[in-house]
Amino acid sequence: MRTTFNSSFLQSAADLSRTSVELARRQREVSSGRRLNTASDDPSAASGSVREHSEMAALDRYDQTADTANSRLSVADSVLSDMLDQLTNAKTTILAAQGSPVTDDQRDAYAKELAAIRDSLFSDFTTTFNGTYLFSGQAATVAPYQKAANGTISAYSGTTSAIAVDIDRHTSVTVSFNADAIARGPDAADIFTSLTQAIAAVLAGDGAGMAAAGTAVERAFQRTTAAQSENGAGLREIEIQKGRLADQRNASKTRTSNFEDANMAESITKMSQADTAYKAALGAIATTGRVTLMDYL
Amino acid sequence: MAGLFGSLSMAARALDAQRYGLDVAGQNIANVNTPGYSRRSALFAAIPPYEKLSAGGGVEITGLRAMRDDRLERRLQQERPAEQREQAIAQTLAIVETALGKPGQSLDASLNAFFDSLGRLAADPTSAIERQTTVSQADALANSFKDMAGRLDQARRDADSGVRDGVGQVNALAQRIASLNASLGAAAGGAPGGEELKDSLNEALKSLSGLIDIGTIPRADGGVDVSFGNGRPLVIGANTYTIDVASTPPSGSAALLSDGTTVTSEVTGGSIAGLIQARDVLIPGYLSQLDTIAYSVVTEVNAIHQTGYDMNGATGGSFFTALPSAAGAARTISVSAGIVADPGKIATGGTATAGDNTVARKLADLRDARVLSGGTATLSDAWGSLIYRVGADTKTASDEQSSRAEIVQQVELLREQVSGVSLDEEAMMMMKFQRAYEANARFFQAIDSALDTLLSLHK
Repeated sequence: MRTTFNSSFLQSAADLSRTSVELARRQREVSSGRRLNTASDDPSAASGSVREHSEMAALDRYDQTADTANSRLSVADSVLSDMLDQLTNAKTTILAAQGSPVTDDQRDAYAKELAAIRDSLFSDFTTTFNGTYLFSGQAATVAPYQKAANGTISAYSGTTSAIAVDIDRHTSVTVSFNADAIARGPDAADIFTSLTQAIAAVLAGDGAGMAAAGTAVERAFQRTTAAQSENGAGLREIEIQKGRLADQRNASKTRTSNFEDANMAESITKMSQADTAYKAALGAIATTGRVTLMDYL
Repeated sequence: MAGLFGSLSMAARALDAQRYGLDVAGQNIANVNTPGYSRRSALFAAIPPYEKLSAGGGVEITGLRAMRDDRLERRLQQERPAEQREQAIAQTLAIVETALGKPGQSLDASLNAFFDSLGRLAADPTSAIERQTTVSQADALANSFKDMAGRLDQARRDADSGVRDGVGQVNALAQRIASLNASLGAAAGGAPGGEELKDSLNEALKSLSGLIDIGTIPRADGGVDVSFGNGRPLVIGANTYTIDVASTPPSGSAALLSDGTTVTSEVTGGSIAGLIQARDVLIPGYLSQLDTIAYSVVTEVNAIHQTGYDMNGATGGSFFTALPSAAGAARTISVSAGIVADPGKIATGGTATAGDNTVARKLADLRDARVLSGGTATLSDAWGSLIYRVGADTKTASDEQSSRAEIVQQVELLREQVSGVSLDEEAMMMMKFQRAYEANARFFQAIDSALDTLLSLHK
């Protein structure tokens, strides 16, 4: 077998090219910290990485929705607590007005207090969050109740169905309320009408009227308590779901890292090996062309 | 005396022969780096005795032999087309995969941003800001599709340009081979330089085989006839049969013609075949997959959107401009003009109630809906599948090219073993001919001295 001038360099050039390509590849891994720079580096990992990026985007979206829902329901909880306080005050006032003896001045005072409670409840039911009504069902841009100039409060203007948002692929929470279900429920008259009737009964000294109004207020209190309980369940669900979302995101991030990131210890070791091989190839080339028979002539 | 003069002539011829041997060694050393050069070897023959008392006439130069193995030359011409084809594919696809971008930073990022905006809109369907954001993200998504399609189109045009350039090079090499054939025909009649012409011919054939798969038939005078494809003539003797290029509608891609017949599909090897493969099969396949994703985005979003009601209580129309088919969808996808002009027309509700977000939630859920590949893949999965396909094709071509390059290199090494110049060998040949020249010079001196002695006897 003959070894010629060019065959040595041909082989050496090929070896040098191969070692330098490997060295460049490992250097890029170490400097970028990534093993996946193009799809051809690992097609399966590239495809998997696309999937995980989409998954993390979805999880982030659900997390942000959960945060917004949490804020909304927290405001609702605060409003419902105020409603319960107002209804408790209403019950107390009506009871006080039923006592004897009650003077006319006292009746006036009780009537005014009940009117103030009615106005507070109106404010509570027309609470907005980011410009939308919490208690209008799906009719977020429509006030659930309107107050006329003479103080008369209209009938419910919202919808019976509520707005729900997704905080996970399979989990949603309700973020609005049907005010009519709280204010009226199965009763013929809503709480505003009941309080108006209570005011008239107090001023007239109508014991039966006051007793009926007191019963209506108590039923409204029960409905408000149930609504707050349901709201609390929603807040708890959001808290639980956020925990799950965080775990899922961490898992997805780990999978993404496995697809994309280089094992630094391995990459540094292989870079060192590639560097050694490259230098050996350079040395071999230098040795190959050093001496020929021409040098001895 | 005639014997002495004969010996003198013999010495002179011997000196010429050894000097010729030194010339040959010098020629080999001078051409050690000449591509395609086959080392030469001087051919000598002893001259037989011309009379009874003659030992012989010395040496004569009978010729010059090039150390060349035609089988290895042909093997190289057979292996190069496959290697160059895969290299052309790998180089073209390397540009394509760069154009696709990195996971999470490309079209998939635009898809995610669009669905994120729909999710935020579902949480607050009456917000003018969220509606405008949704329109902006939809527009950005459409532009992402168009940009991606544009880059793939550009890659295909670049491959087509490469095909045209390659055909030009093929025709130029064919002209050169024909010219060499003509020169070899003349050299066969005794003109010098035949071996140089054969070396040049092999080098031209090697270059040609890298461009296109060829078949060769040797001619008696040392030339070759060259064909390509299904036996289409390229060079016959001193005549060339050029490959013509015609732009074919509607894409304007170059078709190869031989004597008026389209022969594009007959080219299966060489860089031209690789570029044709990328231009006509691989890249159009990727574009088709991209079009399918874009078309699915349009049809699925529109189908849901049209079941809903907008801010004004009107039924939803098309969110994206409707497309007749998937063909070209990635280049033409756009948000409906009505939606762009008035984001309030985005249908978010299942009823005419302004705050109803039922349809917006369904639109946001499209992110996870398996609407492609027979109901097995989401839109993001389909993009991931395209990424995988491009990556796998690039890796396959690159691995195949490396594998075939090893084979080509081994054949070249075998050729080098036969035809390559070894400086050590040439140094030994130099020493050999130098010593022989010195010895024959001594012999010449001895005969000359004998003649002097003989001539001095007459004084």
